[in-house]
Formats: sequence, structure tokens, C-alpha cells
Amino acid sequence: MTLRALIARLAPLLACLGLLAVWQIAALALNNDSFPTALESIRAIPAILDDKEALINILASLRRMAIGFGTAVLVSIPLGLLMGRSRGVASFFNPLLMVIYPVPKAALMPIIMLWLGIGDLSKTLVIFLGVSLPVIYHSFEGAKAVEEKMLWSGAAMGLSAVERLTRIVLPAALPEILTGCRTGLVLALITMVTSEMIARQSGAGNILFNALDMGQYDTVFAMIIIIGAMGICLDAAFERMRQRLVRWSEPQFDIPLSFS
Amino acid sequence: MNGRGVTTDLLLGLIPITLLLAIWQGTVSFGLAPPTLLPPPGHVFMRMAEQLVTASFDQEILATLFRLFAGFLIAVVLGIAIGLAAAVNPTINAAVRPMVRVLAPLPKVALYPALLLLLGFGHESKITLVAADALFPILLSTYYGASTVEQKLIWSAMAAGTPPSEILFKVILPSAAPSILTGCRIGLVISCIVVFLAEMITSTDGLGHVLITAARTFQAVDMFVPLITISLLGLILNGLLQAARAYLLRGFPEV
Repeated sequence: MTLRALIARLAPLLACLGLLAVWQIAALALNNDSFPTALESIRAIPAILDDKEALINILASLRRMAIGFGTAVLVSIPLGLLMGRSRGVASFFNPLLMVIYPVPKAALMPIIMLWLGIGDLSKTLVIFLGVSLPVIYHSFEGAKAVEEKMLWSGAAMGLSAVERLTRIVLPAALPEILTGCRTGLVLALITMVTSEMIARQSGAGNILFNALDMGQYDTVFAMIIIIGAMGICLDAAFERMRQRLVRWSEPQFDIPLSFS
Repeated sequence: MNGRGVTTDLLLGLIPITLLLAIWQGTVSFGLAPPTLLPPPGHVFMRMAEQLVTASFDQEILATLFRLFAGFLIAVVLGIAIGLAAAVNPTINAAVRPMVRVLAPLPKVALYPALLLLLGFGHESKITLVAADALFPILLSTYYGASTVEQKLIWSAMAAGTPPSEILFKVILPSAAPSILTGCRIGLVISCIVVFLAEMITSTDGLGHVLITAARTFQAVDMFVPLITISLLGLILNGLLQAARAYLLRGFPEV
């Protein structure tokens, strides 16, 4: 039993190792100059992390991501909850959001760059835009599904509208909101990489695509591993926090419902 | 929902869009932003109408659509197949689950350089990226839908003598359909976004390439046209998917 539990816990790690092994074999089989083996790429990682400038770049990326993600969550959750509880607010914002949704947020980068420059502000703004839509959508869905009876009981006991929103709707919608935040987290990482690819000034995406342009293939693949590891670690940390916050709710997805 | 409610909702929804356009026009008219950086909306839509009838621009749209559909369809087929298999078979589940745990939160755009090096600069690398990105929401919602099918339904079908292979297609697949279609909807939006990004990074055609070309030559008007086009494409495709959903789920209670 304990052995089984151990295997279940280690399964993601085993999957990582399996993928790396497949990569190694594929690279050896193809024997292509532009496709280094997994071992070669892993060996290139310390060189990147030793470089002080690269480290500053990666930290700058993470800082932009944290600011963009944080502000997006703070703005989107109240908006989504309001939309879920009031039909007027919902029909006011819904068409606008539907129009914006399929626009790739990183594609706004060239336009935003014209106005705000290529600095932190435009990149953070793009991340903010990318994160806010899924969070709004999931908060909206979560708030819509709150049981009416609970709200009626709350109203009968004299809670004001604001109190009902923060003390009944917010906790009830929390599992759904956190699903949205998890999606938003992955999107933040993607938008971060693409925005830095477009405005090559600093950041992890900048190192990745510069290495691609200069044909330093082991650096390219090492950066892919680093960015991938960032995604997996952030997701795992978020999942741990989620489990703590909504322990009462049934575990809907124990595999991440993140997208893109 | 009565007819009047719908029209009020529609009118209410038009307010922010009109407001946005008005602010846009206002900033240009009052000289807050130079027209070279922010062209007036009328100008942009005129330019778009002009572009839409030219053969070269239609070629770009077709290239984008081809990649979008190819990637999306691969993702739908693979996602539904793997999702169902993982929900039905514990062995496959044990293999798929940790893989998905690792691969789903991976930012796939970061894989694009690797795909470029392996598959070249043509359609293949972009289609693979779109498929990889759209796959996971479809896979996860199929898995979720198929693993929450009511056990009683399966038992009844078995009691009625349905062979196991038919139970999959006659019981599990239909009852997972709402969830699968929700996943497809998310996958479609993602496909729109990713195909555009891939074309922005490296391409010789497609809407993303139009945007990048315009950005490099500081043609602000031409930068807005592909953005609005992809937004419209997303809306149209979403509408088509909604219609397909309404048709496929016509027997279901409101979903």
C-alpha cells in the first residue's frame, strides 16, 4: 500500500524522466546538429544560471509576471463575481469580453509598444490582459452557480448586498475561481515569453529567442527546460495552495485544468 | 427569457463596445494621440473592407485558417481518444495522468523554437504547436466528462446486453458530450491565439505575419486590421461551434 502511494507520488517525476529519456533516444536516433540530446541540454543549464546577466533577466521576467498576474486577479475576481450575480452587469460586459477573447494578447504588444515603449510597463500590461479574461470567465461561472437559497437566507438574516457577495458568493465560487487562476498562471507564463520574444530587451523569452537566432541550440533547449520547469513548479505550488484553501470542496480535477 | 429581455441585454452589451469606439475616435479627434500611432477607427475599418476583397489578404486568411483547423482537428481527435481511453482503462489512466500533469502546465510556446528546428518553418511546426496547445483542455474535459458518467446508466446498458465496445459509443460518449464540447470551445479560442502567435514569430504568410510586417514598417493602420480580423474569425468560429453544440445536444436538458 505504502509502496503504491510512493509510486503515485513519484509518478510526475517518473513522467519527466521518461520524457527526457524519449528525447535522448530521439536525438541520438536523428543525430541532427540542431537537435541536441537531453543530456547536452541539461549540461548547458548551469552555464546559463551562472551568468549573472541571464539570472537578472529571468528574475525580471518573474517580477513582471507576478505584478501582472497579481493585479489581474485583484481586478478580475470582483468583476467576475458581479457579472455572475447581476444580469445587467453580465450583459453589459459579455459582448465586449467575447470580442476580446480570441485576440491573442501578445499580438497587442507591437501596438502597445508604440505608446508605452518596450519597457516593463507594456509587458506587464500585456500579461495583465492575458490573465484577466480566464479569471473573469471562471469567477463569472462560479458566481452564477451559487445556490439562490443561501443568498436568500443571508438576506433574511440581514446581510447587506456587499456582505453577501464577500461572505457567501466569494467562498462558494472559490473552487471555480481558483481553476481560473490556475489557467491564468499558465497564460501569464506564455504571455511573458511571447512578449519578451517580441520586445527583445530583457527576460527569459529574450534569451531563448536570441539563442535561436544565433544558432546556439543547446542554449535554446536548456532555456526550454528552464521555462518548462518554471511552469511545472508554479503550477505545483499553486495546486498545493488551492488544496489548502478549498479542502472542503470535492476534488474535481486532480490533474491541472490549465490551458495553452 | 422573453424577447424583450434579449433585446435589452443586446443593447446593454453594445454600450461598452460603442463607448470603446467613441473613446478611440475621441482621442484621435481631440489630438490626444497622433494619427500615425492611433489611426481613427473609421480609417481602420475602411482599410479592412479594402483589404478583405484583395486576393493577397484573402490568401493570408486562408493560410491562417488552414493551420488553425488542421491543428484544432488533430487536437480534437487525439484529445477525445486519449481522454476516453484514460477514463475507461485504469492502465492507460496510470500512464496518461502523470504525463498530463507534467505537460499541461508547460508553456507550449517555449517549445516552438524546438519545433522550428525539428519540423522546419512551414506548416508542420505551426500545426503541431496549435495541436499541442489545444489538446489539453479537450483531453481534460473529455476525461472529466467520461469519468463522471453515472454508473447506473452503464449498468443498465450492460443488463440490457450491450457489449462493452458499444457502451463506450452509445452511453459514455453521448453523456460526456456537453463536457467535451466545452473543452472544444476553449481549445478553439486557444487555437486562434496560438496560430496567430506562431505566425508572428516566424512566418512568410498568415495574419500574424501581416501584423509583424506592418509593425516593422510602422504602418499603424495595417497593424489593427489583422487584429480585428482574428477577433472576427474567433467570433464566427465560436458561433459555428455554438450552433453545432445546440444541434448535437438537442436532446439534453438545458446545458
